[in-house]
Amino acid sequence: MGKPKANIDKKKCLACCGCISVCPQDAISWIGNKAEVNPEKCISCAICIRTCPVGAISEEVY
Amino acid sequence: MKYDVVIVGSGPAGSVTARFAAEGGAKVLVIERRAEVGVPILCGEGVSRKIDEWKIIEGKRWIAGRMDGARIYSPDKTCVTLGAEQAGNETGYVVYRDIFDQELAHSAIKAGATFMMNTQAIGLIKKGDKIKGVCAKRFDEELKIEADIIVGADGVESKIGQWAGINTRLDPKDLETCAQYTLTNIDVKDAYCDFYLGKEIAPGGYIWVFPKSKNVANVGIGILASLSEAGRAKKLLDEFIAKDPRMKNSSPMRFLAGAVPVANPVETVRDNLILIGDAARHVDPITGGGLTHCLEGGKIAGEVIAKAVKEKNFSQGFLSEYETRWKEAFGQKIKRNYLVKELMLDMDDKTFNKLANELKDVKFEEISTRGLVKEVAKHLPISTKINALIKYRKEIKEIKKK
Repeated sequence: MGKPKANIDKKKCLACCGCISVCPQDAISWIGNKAEVNPEKCISCAICIRTCPVGAISEEVY
Repeated sequence: MKYDVVIVGSGPAGSVTARFAAEGGAKVLVIERRAEVGVPILCGEGVSRKIDEWKIIEGKRWIAGRMDGARIYSPDKTCVTLGAEQAGNETGYVVYRDIFDQELAHSAIKAGATFMMNTQAIGLIKKGDKIKGVCAKRFDEELKIEADIIVGADGVESKIGQWAGINTRLDPKDLETCAQYTLTNIDVKDAYCDFYLGKEIAPGGYIWVFPKSKNVANVGIGILASLSEAGRAKKLLDEFIAKDPRMKNSSPMRFLAGAVPVANPVETVRDNLILIGDAARHVDPITGGGLTHCLEGGKIAGEVIAKAVKEKNFSQGFLSEYETRWKEAFGQKIKRNYLVKELMLDMDDKTFNKLANELKDVKFEEISTRGLVKEVAKHLPISTKINALIKYRKEIKEIKKK
């Protein structure tokens, strides 16, 4: 089982882009009007999870 | 497709730059990933009256309300008032940001700029190290847009800057994570913008209540990302609203989230490239406000771009006139207020209460963050002053030098 990675709930995401600007790995992009994590790049630092103002990001094991 | 300038982002910074570049004779394209200019609104919609000075935005349709002043509440609810009585006039506006942005876009289009919606930049066209244009995607179609100058007006998460090799990533301590309701059926008593401070209320930020009419207001929160937990901004805002008697019978008509840089500006000029607005961190680190900088900076950028197009010189050296001029206009202010932000983070609720108590009867000469900072500096406890002087001596020296 791999390390848990950030996962964005697209229903909750309001596309504020805060997670994109704090991600140290440039692992989050704006796709289809929402933020989306590239699990290949994610290093599980959880900075985006703490930053999200509405709690739309959680950890998920891929 | 070939243009003199391609501007990525149709917010105020992008549109104002587009307008002044086009007025100066440049062939300008603005691309916007969203389907509509100014929508969705990602803003508290408060702006200082300073905005009138530049005469850049026309008409009145963008004004929701004229403000008589601001009130700042310390953690124990001591109120410091910055009012129109002192200013002799209204102090600012609450605006309709969608209309505001569309008016600015209109002015740019009137001047000759072309706007392309639903078009997302996906990379830079480079020949060796040289930037030659932007790759973009419109639905499933890939576009190659060649241009002599690329302007990154692409917001807090700027990719244009990153692709050009400028580190635009934000440290969580330099980002405010925000949530806001537009509440209706709220009992707005007067035309004042209210700010609420406190470590329990909004750590590293504040809660705001900006009235848009007699019974509608934007009620929002910004907290420092480094002091945030998952969903904390929304949770604290919900708690505040539940406790406020004015909002007892209110209901939200809109909910939005936002991210605001409260950082030192990044470098904004490279060969063939300019960054502006949130992408350049042109935001006051104390208030989180950036609209006035977009207008002032956009005009400068547009003028320099038009000059560059005329002289066919797109080098970093030539474009650096833009950086020199915005630094003169508001760069020092951002640097100074960044320091004040850092200093405020070191202060506890007790110090804020004490300060508010000393400032509550002060008649402010200047209704602005500068006026406020000046008075705060006068009344800071001596121990806080000494600590700050020791901790930030290098930075203070640097600012004083200039």
